[in-house]
Amino acid sequence: MTIFKLKWMRWGAALSIVLALLMTTSAVNVQPAVAQSAAADGIVCTTSANATFTLRTETGYIGMSDDNTVFMWGFSVAGQPFQHPSPTLCVNQGDTVTVIVQNTLAEDISLVFPGQENVLANGVLAAPQFTGGALTSLAPVAAANGGAMTYSFVASRAGTFIYQSGTNPERQVRMGLFGALIVRPVRPDSPPAGASFVYGAGSAVYKTGPEFMIMLSEVDPYLSQAVERGQPFDMSLYKPRYWLINGRGFPDSIAPNFAAWLPTQPYGALARINPYDPTANPHPALVRYLNMGTIEFPFHPHGNNGRVVGRDGYPLVNNDGADLSFDKFAVNVGPGQTWDVTFDWRDNEGYNETTNPVPVTIPNLQNMVFGMFFSGSPYLGTDGVKPVGDTAMTQCGEYYIIAHNHALFQLDSWGVPMTGPATFTRVDPPLPNNCPQ
Amino acid sequence: MRKTLSRRNLFKIAGGAALAAAGASMLPRFTSKGGWLSPSWSADAQQAAPNLSMAATDGWIALPPDPAMAPYHPDSLAPAGLTTYIFGFRNVTGLTPEQMMAQKMRAQHSAPLFWANQDTQFTLQLTNLGLAMRPDLVDAHTLHWHGFRHVIPFFDGEPMGSVSVPIERNFTYAFRPRDPGTYMYHCHVEDIEHVHMGMTGMVFVRSAQDGAAINFNGRDYTRFAYNDGDGSTGFDRQFSLLLSEVWNEAHWDDAHIQLPQWTDYRVDFGLLNGRVYPDTIAPNSPMIDWAANNIDPATFNAMPVLTDGAGDLMANAGLESLRYQPLSSLITCNAGERVLLRFANLGFTEAAMTATGLKMQIIGRDATLMRGRTGADTSYLSSTATFNAGESVDAIFTAPPHSGNSPYDTYLLYNRAMTHGNGSQMTEIRVYPANTLGPQALPNT
Repeated sequence: MTIFKLKWMRWGAALSIVLALLMTTSAVNVQPAVAQSAAADGIVCTTSANATFTLRTETGYIGMSDDNTVFMWGFSVAGQPFQHPSPTLCVNQGDTVTVIVQNTLAEDISLVFPGQENVLANGVLAAPQFTGGALTSLAPVAAANGGAMTYSFVASRAGTFIYQSGTNPERQVRMGLFGALIVRPVRPDSPPAGASFVYGAGSAVYKTGPEFMIMLSEVDPYLSQAVERGQPFDMSLYKPRYWLINGRGFPDSIAPNFAAWLPTQPYGALARINPYDPTANPHPALVRYLNMGTIEFPFHPHGNNGRVVGRDGYPLVNNDGADLSFDKFAVNVGPGQTWDVTFDWRDNEGYNETTNPVPVTIPNLQNMVFGMFFSGSPYLGTDGVKPVGDTAMTQCGEYYIIAHNHALFQLDSWGVPMTGPATFTRVDPPLPNNCPQ
Repeated sequence: MRKTLSRRNLFKIAGGAALAAAGASMLPRFTSKGGWLSPSWSADAQQAAPNLSMAATDGWIALPPDPAMAPYHPDSLAPAGLTTYIFGFRNVTGLTPEQMMAQKMRAQHSAPLFWANQDTQFTLQLTNLGLAMRPDLVDAHTLHWHGFRHVIPFFDGEPMGSVSVPIERNFTYAFRPRDPGTYMYHCHVEDIEHVHMGMTGMVFVRSAQDGAAINFNGRDYTRFAYNDGDGSTGFDRQFSLLLSEVWNEAHWDDAHIQLPQWTDYRVDFGLLNGRVYPDTIAPNSPMIDWAANNIDPATFNAMPVLTDGAGDLMANAGLESLRYQPLSSLITCNAGERVLLRFANLGFTEAAMTATGLKMQIIGRDATLMRGRTGADTSYLSSTATFNAGESVDAIFTAPPHSGNSPYDTYLLYNRAMTHGNGSQMTEIRVYPANTLGPQALPNT
């Protein structure tokens, strides 16, 4: 518990300066040709006018929730410093996507794009590589120490995809050579006002604006240490000790995008929404789940059942076009899989301090233990009273509703419980409200 | 303020002991032992009696002592006949304050099975009795209804975004479930530890469609897993099966003031409703005789396990070691009946519950009917239901004809993960000749 509290103190101290630093940091990350969006919350898209990306390998360290640092590999847009996870590439359906890989590592690497068809490598079909009959790579490689390879494909389907190393993936993917690829639909029909389609077919829509990403991964620090030292590692001894969302453990996971104190882990996982309203806020939010780990992760968002609208870039419709999307409170994404899930939060009871109070007697202050993300009041938009000395992280009576991996032994950072793959959905009061934006 | 003691409130869960204690219960609280007077009791006195009262504390349960795993199992500190230290919940509805306070160190696992009606407000009071074995651990507790849609944080029990209940205080949660189906509940404080230590149970929501008969495939049903509109989730009997796991070292650590390294997690025992096969097929602990006491079992909202004069759980003769594991997983039915199996997993690993020789129709997941948004049926037949940590599955099987060779035919239902020898997460499905068993009044009976 002590270590966890220390972590919180560090986080809290940094919060006060984040907005100013955010501006500076984001400016550094913008390039003329390839740009990363830099809103505080939501998916950070790396985009390019012609869907061409040059990704160079970089190495660096990421901070864990036990205050350990771990050596990792990653791709960065060429010229940019190391980041984890690798950039989230956003393209449009129908784009010819070109990824030029520049390899600075001391071993061959490659990229595979699961779910994409007709991927070319230097202009020819990317095929598995064999040497003397033995498989050496799932795709043509960018050779060690300065080699390059250009991969290209037409992004024919909209949805959420991954890109990852295809060479010694049991080692290279675990070292961090992976990222997300988001393909946005291009279709003749128009979505409802204020909404965007998820796919090129089907009716699934989400509220236009920030989308959210839950990229789940795992880290074995001994593998990382061996790689850093150039030592061999017996993969039969592989055992993850960290589990991450978007490359961060809780509470770092809820820090803003590009938080200054997480210089190599730019992607936050806080979702921020307003309550559903049939006229003012009718469309759900979208979360794109990706599992970069080795086992199924049973992710559990509290307070809402996500509607699973598609998996692996395929909308959930049957051959007759019938909508087969389904609601779940356990979003159990398999290894290498992606799920697209929409959700909202509905103020079903409409509790109100004066007109519709909660139907229980609220105990006196000294008879409750208050969470730091609890406003002190049951009522949305009301900041209540908390005991003197209690931390209050709320700003405008907003709700914080947790979402976390329910394989609970993984909700841990090598011995620091209640860290790891957890984040919050922040539910702000209905607009207009007095919440800082 | 004197609490209203309706017949329903008195009888709905407490058991026979409550009958004897009724006089005491009707007295104003706190007068009998002033040392308990605390602001929480005062707050409690100002509101209507909750539908259910739970207490959170620690205790001991019995798992198979063989094979031993020194020093972790059996635990050398365990009382005679018991092996494993737990944290857990108890149903204390109807108990006097004296009886309730006496339940410290008498937790059960799995936690009490309870249920609520769709669209009906349900209140649940949680009292934290503290941990007898670990007075150094002053952990608060909560009750998190896992999967409840659109809950407000105040009633969600997640301690960072909400409040939790300190020792010798209570808190009342209010729910109005809108979606029938199978859920689970657990304490969310330090939830790696508190969940693994046993503060886990199942809750289901009865569908609003219950009541009027709907004919499906030639049979009338009045109880349904979901509001299906066509009777396709109708059932004659239902059984709730909560899966949990025990890592011996973690349980031993908590009893011996140690901390486990959770990333080393392993499963030593898989439990069904808190028991390991063959204890899973031992009967339920004695329950209130509702017929003799003229109680409509439809008014119960939890398993009405009997308590004694001290408020402690009663045990079946010869099964005293299962006193704190009161819920059976034995599935009994008549040939031709439709049986609903409610599965929920609060272990940390994926489960694959396999029924030998039976076809299960997987009709629901995570309290959602398996049906597309435009009505397409997405339910499917399988002999195995797979579900991961924090996931629930509803499956219905139709009991096959009786073979005629024995009083009942036995089928096995077990987790293919096969932890601990022949599969500790195993139970039996016993199919009797048609019309042998009377109607089922309560789940898991």
